[in-house]
Amino acid sequence: MTASVGFGFMAACTLVSAIFVVRSKNLIRAALWLGATLLLTAALYAMLDASFLAGVQVLLYVGGISTLLIFGVMMTRKHEGLVVEAETVNVPRGVFAAGALFGGVAAAIKMTPELDSGVRPPVVTANDLGRGLLIDHVLAFEVVSLLLLVAIIGAVVIARKRDPGAEVPGFVRRPLAAKASSAKPVANEVSP
Amino acid sequence: MTLSHCLLLASALFAVGVYGILTRRQIVAVLLSIELMANAANLVFVSFSRFRPSMSGSGAQGQIFALFSLALTVAEVAVGLAIVILVYRAHGDTRIDLASEMKS
Amino acid sequence: MNALFRGASYGAVIITAILSTIAIGIWFERKFAGRMQSRLGPTIVGPVGLFQPLADVVKLLQKEDIVPRDADRSLFDLAPILATLFALGAAAVVPFSATAVTADLDIGVLWILAIGALMVIPTFMAGWASNNKFALLGGMRAVAQAVSYAVPLVLAVMVPVILSGTMQVSGIVQWQQQHHWVALWPVIPGLPAFVLFFLAMLAESNRIPFDIPEAESELVAGITTEYTGAKFTLFYMAEYVHTLVGSAVGASLFLGGWDGPFAPGLHWMVLKTLLLFAAVYWVRWSLLRFRSDQLMDLCWKWLTPIGVFLVLAAATWVQLMPGGR
Repeated sequence: MTASVGFGFMAACTLVSAIFVVRSKNLIRAALWLGATLLLTAALYAMLDASFLAGVQVLLYVGGISTLLIFGVMMTRKHEGLVVEAETVNVPRGVFAAGALFGGVAAAIKMTPELDSGVRPPVVTANDLGRGLLIDHVLAFEVVSLLLLVAIIGAVVIARKRDPGAEVPGFVRRPLAAKASSAKPVANEVSP
Repeated sequence: MTLSHCLLLASALFAVGVYGILTRRQIVAVLLSIELMANAANLVFVSFSRFRPSMSGSGAQGQIFALFSLALTVAEVAVGLAIVILVYRAHGDTRIDLASEMKS
Repeated sequence: MNALFRGASYGAVIITAILSTIAIGIWFERKFAGRMQSRLGPTIVGPVGLFQPLADVVKLLQKEDIVPRDADRSLFDLAPILATLFALGAAAVVPFSATAVTADLDIGVLWILAIGALMVIPTFMAGWASNNKFALLGGMRAVAQAVSYAVPLVLAVMVPVILSGTMQVSGIVQWQQQHHWVALWPVIPGLPAFVLFFLAMLAESNRIPFDIPEAESELVAGITTEYTGAKFTLFYMAEYVHTLVGSAVGASLFLGGWDGPFAPGLHWMVLKTLLLFAAVYWVRWSLLRFRSDQLMDLCWKWLTPIGVFLVLAAATWVQLMPGGR
């Protein structure tokens, strides 16, 4: 009983937080509300016997992606000051589409018989996850690590600053002074 | 706390993400909404792994899939933000209709 | 419910103990720093200057609470609270004795790493909401540093996990009680992993030699530039708490926690934590700080490859040892 009430409360908080993400006028606030939504989802995972996944969700999503998104907001605005405007357009269209989608899926859920089987499978431990990743699904695991490597390299190559006269990006030997300044990590730039 | 409750919550979060994608004009705001949708999908996987016994293997399929989905989302956000930075450099603003130069 | 009350009471005691230790830690730091610099340190307030922390806190709390005009008010107010919360959060899974754990999670180590990753958010919020270029620069540097040094931290912490086969912190301590302390015996993964953890912990708490985001000669006061009075006190406390909890985690994972050569118990844990805490101050008052790019260089070019190698070494050790571990 208390589990259901707790779960319902968490679910309501998550939904409210998500609505703030898409309705907030200030982009930084929206990014922080997303961090809160992801944190609450991690709590939901912990309630659903997925504690390892909850920890990984906080570590990766909140500690990583939120940071990335916030930096993304900060580095792509042209004026000084704290207000980062984010307008919303076509609200009735959005509400209709979202409502129709939710209505359709909810109807499908309600119409499915025996969805709640009442069976509680054994708790999945980190041990099970490790076995599953490295024994059953090792190919997918290796492919995902390759994909992450490609994504990292790709993101760095795409977003690198280029000299105006460079023909082949990345293969021009620049003098040491310019090389030092262009090799600075992006985090040290405030605004271009 | 039953499977249908979890699925309804996940579809509500997904619908909120769809609303965000349709009504926001800044690229980063659209990325935030995409994150919401991916998060909702992960919630579906985890709820199935909790409420339905798995037919084979270690029984952790739902969570393993959610783990992979998480990793993929991380990669997608990284590349997406690199593109945002490029659009900003080219146009000075990050409105989503600025990235439409290939439209005929 | 019973477990909840028991855990909550342990938690309350642990939090009180941590905050009291901070109070004494402030005095200890001033005296230690004084002695290292051939001077006496505080001597006036109370015997041997023992009431100096009280004087410090009273001074800070009675200062006027100034908020910049165009600051983002709610974020500005929320940041110090979140910083203190997240700094204290990691202490929930640390076993201070064989039974005194607030929440003995199966994934204790992952909880510690996750809470450490969460510390990024209040740092950024403080830097952004202050509407101050120095604070923003300090915030961005601090976030970049925290996110980068999370990688060697995770790799270093993987070594005791691999050696003991469990992520439960009390399980790791029990393994160390039965075998050897991680920092001592498997010398190749153990000792370098401990050093790596120590360095990463220093960098995560923005301590010298990694304190460029809040160095006075660099950025006024970094993210805490615009904070005064009670909110600044919270940030100040949060930094000490983060260091103390990091020392407690290091003592559990690498130095055997509450284990000791005779009479294992709470006293050993306290001794080891305070030793690490004192070591942090020793380093702070002896070394110069790294420049921002030197810091990033160190992390990505040295500590991360060494960390990967150590994880490999730990896995090889476990594989080669007869009987599994």
